[in-house]
Amino acid sequence: MEKLAGVLLSSLFAAGLYATMSYGLAVIYGVMRIINLAHAGLMMLAAYVTLSLNTWLGLDPFLSLLVVAPLFFGIGVVLDLTIVRRLPRGGNAPSMQSLLLLFGLWLVLQNLAYLVWSGDTQSILTPYTMTSVHLLGESYGVPLLLVFGVSGLSLVGLDLLLRRTFLGKAIRAVTQNRDAARLSGVNADRISAVAFGLGTAFAAIAGTMMSTLYAFTPDFGRSFLLKAFCIIVLGGLGSFTGVAVGALVLALIENVFAAYTPIPTSFQDAISFSLLVLVLVAAPNGLPALFRGFSRKALAR
Amino acid sequence: MKAPLTRSLVWFGVLAAGLLGAPAAAERGTLNDLWNVAFAIVLASAWNLLGGFAGQISLGYSAFVGIGAYTTVLLAMAGWNPWLTLPVAAALAVAFSVIIGLPTFRLRGPYFSIATIGVGEAVRVIASGVEFTGGSSGLRMPSGGFNFISNYYGMAVLALFTVAVVFFIHHDAFGLALDAIRQDIDAAEALGVQSTRYKLLAHAVSAALVGAAGGLFAMNFQYISPGSVFDFRLSLSIVLMPIVGGIATLVGPVLGAVLFSYLQIKLLASPALRDSYLFIYGGLLMAVMLFEPRGMVGLWERLVRLRSRQRPQAAEA
Repeated sequence: MEKLAGVLLSSLFAAGLYATMSYGLAVIYGVMRIINLAHAGLMMLAAYVTLSLNTWLGLDPFLSLLVVAPLFFGIGVVLDLTIVRRLPRGGNAPSMQSLLLLFGLWLVLQNLAYLVWSGDTQSILTPYTMTSVHLLGESYGVPLLLVFGVSGLSLVGLDLLLRRTFLGKAIRAVTQNRDAARLSGVNADRISAVAFGLGTAFAAIAGTMMSTLYAFTPDFGRSFLLKAFCIIVLGGLGSFTGVAVGALVLALIENVFAAYTPIPTSFQDAISFSLLVLVLVAAPNGLPALFRGFSRKALAR
Repeated sequence: MKAPLTRSLVWFGVLAAGLLGAPAAAERGTLNDLWNVAFAIVLASAWNLLGGFAGQISLGYSAFVGIGAYTTVLLAMAGWNPWLTLPVAAALAVAFSVIIGLPTFRLRGPYFSIATIGVGEAVRVIASGVEFTGGSSGLRMPSGGFNFISNYYGMAVLALFTVAVVFFIHHDAFGLALDAIRQDIDAAEALGVQSTRYKLLAHAVSAALVGAAGGLFAMNFQYISPGSVFDFRLSLSIVLMPIVGGIATLVGPVLGAVLFSYLQIKLLASPALRDSYLFIYGGLLMAVMLFEPRGMVGLWERLVRLRSRQRPQAAEA
């Protein structure tokens, strides 16, 4: 019983980070119908920026979020204005062209990090990196708890932005129907730039937090990118509550496999990638749609 | 758009003469480079069958190279003649292509591409974790009996065979079905094209060719590891070559393969460039997507059009 409680708690903590890194993808997908393959590169870059702030200024990684998140918001807006906007808009389905363009951007970012920070494995040590807290008979590292707290805060912030502000309303309007939003006077291009900035900022928040938990190289982030895809597909592309549920489901599956099966942890990624393929195939519109489909069938009977 | 038959035959003839005639004239170093060109042509042209003509962009093709290479090494370690392992390598790659194709071909466009990254990564993670692949430290071919020249001819013939296979498929009803799937899968289905069947078939043909190339790769390098044959960077260059050369054309992947092999040789030669190969790869990909999605072939056609437009003006003046 205690083991189960431990597994549930670990899953919850992991889910916070997972949700943060997935929201960025989901915002961009929702507004622009673009799958941002450069997301992994932006997370990696944010981790390196955090590292530099830490070594030069001695800035705490969690405090550096105040610098990194606005910085990457700006980077995202600039990327949209200079590169992403030039693509022909591919209607309601994401285009291969945007996928490959951002794939190219990811490679360029990797090389940039390699030239600036070299290919060595880096990590950030803080005074509390090795400290831990006991909860329900298990011990959890302090960084993990902080990451969970910051994730929660940033997600609440995003939710408030989307629900309570005019900008948020415009973002949701463009997500639901771009043409209708433009007809009612929303500047969809400007909203796209904001959305790309927001998505990039969330990638940066996730990247900064990951830098306190994991060692990283310029190649960092690919497996997390795949997990983020898995999550937004699980949650249904473009649905924000769905993303949180998807993050929790993936974290639960990973932790349950780790705790109750003899499968070594080195195969953990293989599990999530197989899950990704499985989910894409079984429920291409996400679990919510799958459940709706089931209940509709049950009602029809 | 189909190029005239004679033009296709001419450049195919030049390619064949160059690849097959080289051992008579060139030194070992040049032949090594040409071996790489032939290897790249197999990968790029075979990928183009599914990724180009059928429009299903797979980012997980290193899995087939890896399966082919490991089949050859493992069977050779069991005492097989390396050449006899190649059909088995191709067959296993085909089997794997069907296993992953059946679920993933239900996905469309970018979703398919993302799923293939997942498949490729899962295969690499598993290959580094299990016993029989030698784990991350890799496996060595049993020594002896290796002849570079015969391996070179093997790869050159495989490259020409691949181009020929793609040519015949392109000029067959099969090729028309693939074109239809790329242009509008719903319309193709409505006209009775069984899209999943054709996608599986295209996947299988290209997997067989890539698997056999993987076997020859293992024979040539004598040593393989999950880091070399299941590498994401390999999947990456397999995708980049046809896209930069000209996706869904016959000559495009060959041009891309030659360009990339040349780049690779240059990159390996200079340390400054070696550190920035991802800049070059990523920059090329972005430039192609932004300015000329049809790659070098598209650029060429644009030039030709420009010249034919200028000529009448010149006559008037």
